[in-house]
Amino acid sequence: MNKKVTRRDLLKGIGFGVGAIALAACAPAATTAPTAVQPTNAPAAAQPTTAPAAATGTTTVTYWGFSGALGKTEDDLVAKYHAKQTAVKIDRQVQGSYEETAQKLTAALAAKTAPDMVLLSDVWWFKFYRAKALLPMNDLAATAKIDSADFVESLWKEGVRQGNQYWIPFARSTPLFYYNADMFKAAGLPDRGPKTWTEFSEWAPKLVKMDGSTMKVAAFAGLAAASYSAWVFQCVNWAFGGSYSSPDLKITLLDPGTIDASQFYTDLVNKKQLASTPKDVQKDFTTGLTATALLSTGGLTGILKDAQFNVGTAFVPEEKAVGVCTGGSGLTILTGTAADKATAAANYIAYATGNEGGEFWSQNSGYMPVRKSTVSSATYQKFFADHPQAKTAVDQLPRTRPQDAARVFIPGGDQILGKGLDRIVVGKEDIKAVWTDIAAQLEKEAEPVRKDLATLGG
Amino acid sequence: MRAEETLSKALGYSAIVFTVLIIGIPVFWLITGALKTNREIFSPNPQWLPSQVMFDNFTKAWEGAPFGRYYINSFITTILGAACEITMGITTAYALVFVRFPKRDWVFVLLLVALMVPEEVVIVPNYLTIANWHLVNTYAGIVLPGASIAFGTFLLRQYFRSLPPELIDAARVDGAGHMRTMLSIIVPIAAPAVATAGLLSVVAKWNDYLWPLIVTSTADMRTLPIGISWLLDQEGNTEWGVVMAATLFVVVPVVLVFLYAQRFLVSGIAAGAVKG
Amino acid sequence: MQNTARHPANSIRRLIKRDWREWLVFLAFAGPNVALFAIFTYTPLINNLLLSFSDWNMISADKNFVGLQNYVDIINDSQMGKVLLNTVLFTSSSVLLVLLLGLGGGLLLNQKLRGRNAARSILFTPNILSGAAIAIVWIYIFDPRFGLIYTVLKPLGIDSPKWLTDPNWALPAIVIVYVWKYLGYATVIYIAGLQAIPGDLYEAARVDGASAWMRFRHVTLPGLSPVMFFLILTSILSSFQSFDIINVMTKGGPVNATNTLIYRLYELGFINFAIGRAGVIGMVLFVMMFAVTLLQLRYLDRQVSYA
Repeated sequence: MNKKVTRRDLLKGIGFGVGAIALAACAPAATTAPTAVQPTNAPAAAQPTTAPAAATGTTTVTYWGFSGALGKTEDDLVAKYHAKQTAVKIDRQVQGSYEETAQKLTAALAAKTAPDMVLLSDVWWFKFYRAKALLPMNDLAATAKIDSADFVESLWKEGVRQGNQYWIPFARSTPLFYYNADMFKAAGLPDRGPKTWTEFSEWAPKLVKMDGSTMKVAAFAGLAAASYSAWVFQCVNWAFGGSYSSPDLKITLLDPGTIDASQFYTDLVNKKQLASTPKDVQKDFTTGLTATALLSTGGLTGILKDAQFNVGTAFVPEEKAVGVCTGGSGLTILTGTAADKATAAANYIAYATGNEGGEFWSQNSGYMPVRKSTVSSATYQKFFADHPQAKTAVDQLPRTRPQDAARVFIPGGDQILGKGLDRIVVGKEDIKAVWTDIAAQLEKEAEPVRKDLATLGG
Repeated sequence: MRAEETLSKALGYSAIVFTVLIIGIPVFWLITGALKTNREIFSPNPQWLPSQVMFDNFTKAWEGAPFGRYYINSFITTILGAACEITMGITTAYALVFVRFPKRDWVFVLLLVALMVPEEVVIVPNYLTIANWHLVNTYAGIVLPGASIAFGTFLLRQYFRSLPPELIDAARVDGAGHMRTMLSIIVPIAAPAVATAGLLSVVAKWNDYLWPLIVTSTADMRTLPIGISWLLDQEGNTEWGVVMAATLFVVVPVVLVFLYAQRFLVSGIAAGAVKG
Repeated sequence: MQNTARHPANSIRRLIKRDWREWLVFLAFAGPNVALFAIFTYTPLINNLLLSFSDWNMISADKNFVGLQNYVDIINDSQMGKVLLNTVLFTSSSVLLVLLLGLGGGLLLNQKLRGRNAARSILFTPNILSGAAIAIVWIYIFDPRFGLIYTVLKPLGIDSPKWLTDPNWALPAIVIVYVWKYLGYATVIYIAGLQAIPGDLYEAARVDGASAWMRFRHVTLPGLSPVMFFLILTSILSSFQSFDIINVMTKGGPVNATNTLIYRLYELGFINFAIGRAGVIGMVLFVMMFAVTLLQLRYLDRQVSYA
C-alpha cells in the first residue's frame, strides 16, 4: 500500500520537475512587470518610466527604507506625500535592518540593481561615500528648496564632506537617560535625571535591590550584547573628557579621559556592583529589572507602551564635559540615478524632512525633528504638552556633537569598539591592554579609509 | 532476564517522558507566547498560560506584512525547488551507481565537495550571476541556485548502492535502457529514500532565509522566513507576541507535512544510511 | 570464413560504442546537476580562493593583488586562536552529544513502548523549526532572572548561570540549543539502523550466553557502524557551517565566546567588508571540512568492503 502512494507521489514529483522548468521559464514574465522600475541605476540614458504612473509625467523613485513598525509609519508618510502631489511617486521597498540594507546595497551596486534613494544609518553611509556611490546634494537641495540653515546644525553638518552634503538627516536620535520614576520616588530621589555621573553614583546604591548575592534590580544596565554599546558609551566617554578618535582618524583610546570613562563604566558593574549587563537592556528597563538605562530616543514609543510604571526621561549625565552623541539614519541619493529621478527624490526629501512631513514622522516614530522650525510650530508645542518625554530629546539636541570618526568612518568600527568594551566590562580584562589591542585593530582597518580620503580630498 | 527487561522498559518510559518535557516545553512556550502581550511574555513571574487569550497577535501578524502573498511565494519556490532537487538527485545518483564511466568516484567526491561550501561564501557571487541573467526578484532567481542538491544525491546514492545488482542485470538483459531501468525498477524500490530526500529538501527550502532575502527586492516576491524577521523593529520596539504568532504561521505547515510523511521518513533515512 | 562477430576490430568498436553511450547517459543524467554546481557552488568557491589574495572591499572597482598578505593578517589576528578553539569545541561537543544521546534515545525508544511514536515525532520537531524561531524561544528559556531554567533551578536553591551574557556559559548554551535541534534526527536514524539488524544475531548471542553489554558490543555496535559514519559525516559538516543560531542568539559574543569560523567569516565579509580576509577564512573552513571528509571516506570505504 505504501508503494502505491509513493509511486504516485513520485510521478507527481517528476511531473513537477518538468513542469517546474516550464513554469520557471514563464514565471519571470509574469513578475517582471512590477520590477521594471528596478534597474533604474543602469544607463543614465533616459529610462521613461513604464510602470505604475497614473498621470503622465510622473517620475517614480525607488527607495529603500525602514522595516518593521517604523516601516509602517514610513509607508504612511509616503502616502501623505502622494496625497499632496502627483509629480513624484515613491516606490518604497524594504530590504531589512540597517545592516541588511547596507549589505544588500553593496551587492546591488556590484550587480547594477541599486535603487535611486536609500536610507543609510550613521555607521554605514560613509562607506558608500568613500566608494563614490553617493550623489553630492547641494544643488539638488537648492532646487528642492531644502533650507540647510533651518536644520539643526550638528545634524546637518555630519553629512557634509568637502563642503557638499551627502547624507541628509531624516530619522535621527540621541541616547536618553531613561529612569523608572516610581523607583526613584520610592528611593527618595528627586524626579529628575542625575546631573553628573558622580551624582548618579551617589544615587545608585539606593536603587539597587539584592536578593542574597544576586542583583534583582540594578541601578543601571548597559552593554546589550554588541549592539549599541559603543554608541552609548561614546557619551560616557566624552563626559569624562575622552574620545575614540579625533576627526582625522587619530585613535585616542589611550587618552586619560577614555581610560577614566572605561574605569568608571567597568567599576559600575564589577567593583561597585551597581549595574548589570543583560542581553536586552530595553527589555530589562521596561520589566523593572533596572532602574535606569541609556537608550535611544527611537525606542520611546515602545518603552512607553511596555512599561507599567512612570517613565522619566532626562539628559545624558555630564561629568567633566557634556557628552551626547547623535545617531539614527539619513537619506542619500545614489550616483547612478538619472537626473530627473534625482530631482524627484530631492523633492521627497524636502517633504520628509520639512515641517509637515517631519512633524508627522517624528511624532509617530519617536525620532527627533531635524529642523528648528518644526519644533516651534503650535501643533508641536501641543504635542510636547501631551508627551513631555518627547521634549527631552529635542531639548538635548543643542548639546550634541558629531560622532567619533573611529566609530562611523571605519568599517566595522562600531563592532570592534563594542568588542573592546565587552572585554573590559564582561571579560574584566586590563583596560590599557584591551584598548591598545583595539587601537591596533582600528589602525589597520583605518588604512584603506585614509587612502580613500586622501584621493577624495576629504 | 526479566529484571533486565523491566529495567530497560522503565528507562524507556522515562526517556519518553523526558523527551516530551525537554523538547515539548519550549514549543509549548512558543505557542502560548503567540497568545500574550509583550508585558506578559517578559514578565518576571513566568506565566505558563496567558491570562487573556489574545488572538490579536495573529491578526496583527497577518496584517503586519503581506503574509498571504508570502505563503504563495514560499509554496511556489519550495515546490519548484524541491521538484528540481528530487528529479536531479535521482538521475545523478542513478548515474553515479549504475552508469559506467571512468573516474566515477571523482565525481562523487566532487559532489561531497558541494556540501562543504557554506552559504555565506556563495551568496554574493550568485547574486551577481543571477543579476547578469536578469533574474533578480523572480521565482527562477530564487529557485535556480538551490536547484542542485548534494545531500539528497548522497543519500540516494548510498541507497542505490545497497540494491541487489541482480535487479539491474536482469533489466539490462531484457534490453531495458537506463531511462526505463531507472524509472520502472530503481525508483519504485527506492521510494522510501526518495520520499525522505524530498521531505528534507522541502523543509530546507521552506525555511531558506538568506538567499531569498538577497535575491528579492520587493514585498510581492518575498517568502515567509523573511516576513518574520522583518517584524523585528530597528529600535527595539518589537512585539514579540506577534513575531511568535508569525513563526507559527511558518512552522505549522511543515509540521503537518512531516506528520503525514513520517512513516516514509523512518524507513527512508535508515535505508539510505544503513545500507552504506 | 571468419566470424565477424568475434573479430577484434568489431569487439573494440562495440566496446567504444557502449562506452560512448554510457557517457551520453551520464551527461544527460548527472550533467545538469553538476553544471548547476559548477555555476553556483564551485565557481564561487574558486572565486573565494582568488579573492583571498586580493584586498577588495566589495564596492570599489579595483581589486588589488596582495599575495599572501591576507593570510598573514589572519594568522596575526588576535581573535583567530579563540575562534579556532571555539569551532573545535563546538563541533566536537555537539556532534559527540548528538551521537551519544541519539544512540541512547534510539536504543530506548526502539522498544515496544506505548507512546513511542508520539515521542519520536516530538523529538524530530525541533529539526523542522528554523534557527531564528528556535533562538527566540531559547533566549527566553536562558534568561537568568525569569527564564524557564531559572524557574527550575530556583526551588533547588541554585543560581542560574548567566548563559548568554557569561563568556564561560555562552558556548555551552549554544551547544545545548544545537543538540536540542538535531537530537531527534539522530535518534530516528539510529532506530531505523537498529531495526535493520537481524534479530537472529541477538538470539545466537544470547544462546551463547552473552551478557547485555557483550551483545551491545558485538552485535549492535558493528551493525550500527554504517549509520554512525553517515551521521558523523553529515553532522560534522553541518556543525561547521552552523551560523543561524549563533547569529540570532549571541552574535559571536560575549567577548568572542561563541565566535566560530563561520561567524568570523560573516563578520569579516559582511560587516567589515574585508573580502580578502573573509576569503581566507572560507578556505580554512573548506580545507578543514575536506580533510575530515577524506578521513571518513577512507574509513567508510573500508567498512563497506567488509560487508
